[in-house]
Amino acid sequence: MKKILLTAFVMLVSLTVLFAQGSKETSADTSGRTVITWWAFPTFGDNGATEKALIEAFEKANPDVKVNLETIDFTSGPQKLTAAIEGGAAPDVLFDAPGRIIEYGTNGKLVALDKLFTADYLADIGGLANACTDGTHYYMYPLSSAPFWMSINREMWEKAGAWQYVNTEGDRLWTTENWAKAMEALGKAGYIGCNVYCGGQGGDQGTRALVNNLYSSSIYSDGKWTANTEGNKKALELLKKLYDKGAIDFGRGIAAADELQLYQQEMIASTLCWGTSNAKNYKSDSYTQFSVPFPSEDGVPELEYLANGFCVFDNGNAAKADAAIRFIQFICDDPEWGPKAVVASAAFPARASFGNLYGDDPEYALLSSWTQYYGPYYNTRPKFAQMRTQWWNMLQYVSTGDKTVAKAVADFDAEANK
Amino acid sequence: MAKKPTQTVSHAIQKQIDRTSYLFLLPMAVFFLCFVLAPMVIGIVTSFFNYRMGVFEFNFGKNYAQLFTDKVFWKSMRNTIVIVIASVPLVTVFSLWVASALSEKSMTATSIFRGVFYLPVVMGTVPVVVVWKWIFNAYYGILNYILKALNLMPQNLRYDWLGEKSAAIWCILAILFTTSIGQPIVLYIAALGNVDKSITEAAEVDGASKLRTFWQVKWPSIMPTTLYIVVITTINSFQCFALIQLLTSGGPSYSTSTVMYYLYEQAFTYYNYGYANAMGVILAIVIAGFSALQFKTMKTE
Amino acid sequence: MDQIQKNQTKTKAYSVFSLVVLIVIALLFLFPFYWIITGSFKVQPNKIPPEWFPASWTVMHWEKLFRQPAWTWFFNSVFMSVMSMILVLMASSMAGYVLAKKAFTGRKIIFSLLVMAMALPKQVILVPLVRMMNALSLYNTLWAVILGTVGWPFGTFLMKQFSEGIPTELLEAAKIDGSGETRTFLSVVCPMLKPAFGALAIFTFINTWNDYFLQLVMLTSRNNLSISLGIATLQAELSTDYGLIMAGATLGAVPIVTIFVMFQKYFTNGIALGAVKG
Repeated sequence: MKKILLTAFVMLVSLTVLFAQGSKETSADTSGRTVITWWAFPTFGDNGATEKALIEAFEKANPDVKVNLETIDFTSGPQKLTAAIEGGAAPDVLFDAPGRIIEYGTNGKLVALDKLFTADYLADIGGLANACTDGTHYYMYPLSSAPFWMSINREMWEKAGAWQYVNTEGDRLWTTENWAKAMEALGKAGYIGCNVYCGGQGGDQGTRALVNNLYSSSIYSDGKWTANTEGNKKALELLKKLYDKGAIDFGRGIAAADELQLYQQEMIASTLCWGTSNAKNYKSDSYTQFSVPFPSEDGVPELEYLANGFCVFDNGNAAKADAAIRFIQFICDDPEWGPKAVVASAAFPARASFGNLYGDDPEYALLSSWTQYYGPYYNTRPKFAQMRTQWWNMLQYVSTGDKTVAKAVADFDAEANK
Repeated sequence: MAKKPTQTVSHAIQKQIDRTSYLFLLPMAVFFLCFVLAPMVIGIVTSFFNYRMGVFEFNFGKNYAQLFTDKVFWKSMRNTIVIVIASVPLVTVFSLWVASALSEKSMTATSIFRGVFYLPVVMGTVPVVVVWKWIFNAYYGILNYILKALNLMPQNLRYDWLGEKSAAIWCILAILFTTSIGQPIVLYIAALGNVDKSITEAAEVDGASKLRTFWQVKWPSIMPTTLYIVVITTINSFQCFALIQLLTSGGPSYSTSTVMYYLYEQAFTYYNYGYANAMGVILAIVIAGFSALQFKTMKTE
Repeated sequence: MDQIQKNQTKTKAYSVFSLVVLIVIALLFLFPFYWIITGSFKVQPNKIPPEWFPASWTVMHWEKLFRQPAWTWFFNSVFMSVMSMILVLMASSMAGYVLAKKAFTGRKIIFSLLVMAMALPKQVILVPLVRMMNALSLYNTLWAVILGTVGWPFGTFLMKQFSEGIPTELLEAAKIDGSGETRTFLSVVCPMLKPAFGALAIFTFINTWNDYFLQLVMLTSRNNLSISLGIATLQAELSTDYGLIMAGATLGAVPIVTIFVMFQKYFTNGIALGAVKG
């Protein structure tokens, strides 16, 4: 017995030594190429295939640079970034959204990309430029953008008699009044209209978009985060009322990923967190997922949108920074690979000059039309990260009745701006 | 404690002892200095700095002063102490009961049960959490399903175990309990096995009840083990973190936030490293205080 | 006589009662383990009403899992655990022995430093530790986790407890026989520390295998992940795919549980001896 165990153990160890990997990074490899590291969130969603193809194409065009790819995920990725940046082990290139990028930039961790934002370029990307700057420098080089919206389970709504409230024409704009009626109809039929998830910060733009739109308010005004507006208060009161009636749910134990899963498995009638990549990842063949914009009092929403882009970390090495900038320009600007990367991100190109990349796909035509409802982009404002934590905590307080709406929003304002 | 040399040691011999000892200590010292002590000292020192992403300046004890007015910190401290106070006696008493119940069973039974109770520790937090998250789910969770099947819960209720303020911390405690009793049971089984059989038998022949034999004979001799178990369970409960991070993110309404979790949130979502480190230092002092108190009261008994 | 008989029936009743309670609780403890293993073979593991046993078996989740670098993660975990184990055993047995048996200058200070280190939360040292590993260009390598584990003084405590049980006469006898310090350590001390080696080996193995937090911060490349980190990543990226996560959890848990079951005897004996003496 002992001998068998020992043999097994020795075999295991030798296998391990064979298989276990350890990657080493140096600033230049043996052939003298500049080595840069690229950390990517899974925005392309195809297990790194797009990233690898992009790297291969770039290295072919730039034989003096080698790119190491590391994919990180949305749950543990932010912590890894924090530890790496503070520990002096930041990557050279990061593919992310403006929220974190601008925060890093403001704190002096990034290379300013001002010289890339020429007048021609600014004209090409239009309003998206706002998402790339903290007001003094440009830090994010944008690839693509897409709105966030809602998706509803058509069959469920039809069965509950809520389908009549949906506007199936044109841009599908609808009012808060109709939305609330639909929620009540769903609740009466024994369904859960939606789940206002607030167990963490994942996908919190969805709940913010709902609250802000219901009575056409906003979360950022006059240089401050604020939930303490008439519109937001009315919206929260409405949600609380619907919750007490059992028409909607507050998911204090869940975040967006769980909510999407509930939607996919037909346990809730709509999701607040639909976007181009979620529509891919959470599609279902057993019912119809119908896209609608967020409802608002006047029927004209202000949609939140995501922007995908790159930043370059300042690691005190000019050669690396230069290679990194060439790399992000290649991905975003190359006439062949730029559009390919945009399509892989399932969003609309940052550069208007790329034109329509999606042919006459009706869903993309709808989304493209929604880009006219983009609201002001607030993710780059100071203390964004702090505000997010306060946001889902505030929703928890409101839903449990621990705090009145008035108190919860007042506390939110105080804490988020501290 | 090591036996102290009785005769006075000459200078030369002492030097000789020192040299060998330091050589033997060297490997451990290198690891400890580089990867525990040095980072720890840096951590303590930076707790006196306004140390955020991109900012690094000395601010004396301002981080500590700020802690006193931070409501969330106090709430987290309260939750932490609730967890410690609830879990330590529960873990100790339950594992002692399991161990004494097992002491009358066969060797095979003992080793099977011991293995089973150790299972959640061995499995690791991530797989354990995968299962518990599903048990507590409001929509398709098995706990609601069973309660409904037994008619203990209204059929149309979707109780959100991890989302209700009154329930969430107890759910965390239940999971913490399953991952904490493994080692105490192992230790108690061994300790009870070491109690001199002839004394307990003699007491029983004298007509002493089981319970009395236990209190008068066994309890005193397993006292050191109890002390050890109480101390390690206290430290583990104080440092309860992964469960909370993976299950509730401290919510709802900070009702499951512990100092360890809040520290993490300050460091990794707010980038307030100095403030977080001040919290860590305070937590370490509280832990050390608790342990010292336990040593004192239990040693004198 | 009557009294004794009464006591005996009472004892028997209690014994049956305690067995029943133990079995019920043991089943609750076994449940998560059972659930992830069977769940990994079910078509849809989170159905309501629950499928207590797979209605139809499928290996599709396993096929999906192995499209990820799951084996690499697995062997990374093995490598880190084995290396930490070896280093911990070497370093802490040497240190524990002299701390227990040698009256060297500064012993008390060194020992209390070790004790103090146990109370401070690991989070506090994390950022500086990353900096240190990066300076040694070990960041994002398996060695960052291994070295971060080896420094923790628990093993040294255990070894110190055990070493105190070694009769001083034995050491002196060896010395008189002309044995050098190294030989005494290898031929007299080490054999006596055998139970402690067994216990500490398994303890370190399990701890390293499950040290989610350190791995999370130190390892970034997809090919450098450990198995538990890999599962957590899968859970974050594909939270809908319960079957895949169950398969991953099974791959993470089953080997470590098997190792524990095989070596349970050494582990429990060793840990217990150390603590009882302390």
